[in-house]
Amino acid sequence: MRGVSRFADWLAQTPLSTAIQVNEWVIPTIQSIHIVAIGVVLGSVLMVTLRILGLAARDQTLAETNARFGPWLTGALIVLLVTGILMIVGEPARELLALSFWMKMVLVAFAVAVRPRAPALAFVTLLVWLCIVVLGRLIAYDHVWGSWSAALKG
Amino acid sequence: MDIAALLAWLEASPLAASIRNTIVAFPLVESGHVIGITLVFGTILVIDLRLLGLAWTRRPFSLIADEVLRWTWIAFAIAAVTGALMFITNAAAYYNNWYFRAKMLLLVLAGLNMVFFEITDRRSVLTWDRQKSAPPAGRLVAAASLAIWIGVIFLGRWVAYAPAATGPPPGEEVDFEKLEELLK
Repeated sequence: MRGVSRFADWLAQTPLSTAIQVNEWVIPTIQSIHIVAIGVVLGSVLMVTLRILGLAARDQTLAETNARFGPWLTGALIVLLVTGILMIVGEPARELLALSFWMKMVLVAFAVAVRPRAPALAFVTLLVWLCIVVLGRLIAYDHVWGSWSAALKG
Repeated sequence: MDIAALLAWLEASPLAASIRNTIVAFPLVESGHVIGITLVFGTILVIDLRLLGLAWTRRPFSLIADEVLRWTWIAFAIAAVTGALMFITNAAAYYNNWYFRAKMLLLVLAGLNMVFFEITDRRSVLTWDRQKSAPPAGRLVAAASLAIWIGVIFLGRWVAYAPAATGPPPGEEVDFEKLEELLK
């Protein structure tokens, strides 16, 4: 992880990073936009999951339901990517040296890759999105992982 | 019992103490709170976009409301319970935090907005249920709802960044000097 640590140090000295660091309102504002976008993702994923489980939109096909929520999901994911990158640039060590962050990225890779059709996978995918939210919040409390988190900071 | 005594009593309660003293408790309660509020916003968005005539306009409003609002209420209950648990861990600091107060005010406005909808367009829903959008009052309620809930999310995040005068953000900072004083 020494390479990651050095990268974080370098990133923290870039002009964009220092600009974010000196303006104290920037990080909370980016975080707030990030949370609003998570709302759009969770709402969309919940509705598609309910459709697959037969608990909503039974008058709509799955394709129609995906057509309704897909663009919102994609748009929100783009907002999450941009605000997420800005948070990394603004606080590189806090994000890149957190075990919670890397576990979150693994789950994000899974969640954006699957297009569930079967109820079981749809339900699992919804749970994975909820875990992503939890891990995102745990970045601020990475010490909860004890020595596993400390090992990352080496 | 005055408010200061009530806040002190909440903070001193065994439940508040156990959340403060368990390392993962506060972060997990906070995570539950984020899940609650994001699901409230994400599901309300489905309703508001339908009222505004921007999405799912071919489905009757009442059908969408039946399917979605129960989840909004479940999510709101999660947010309210986890929010109350966070509040009692550091009741006085939250009570004196202006972002927190403004957020509570917005929640009252969200309730009034909902009541306004119930006594206006919701009553005549059968006359516009299959139309592309709600009448003007319903569209106004929807726009206000989006603004209010986005405001709630922003203020909620800013509670943790309140000026030092209102105390450190709960759970993210421990005042060791004060702690030592208390342990003496």
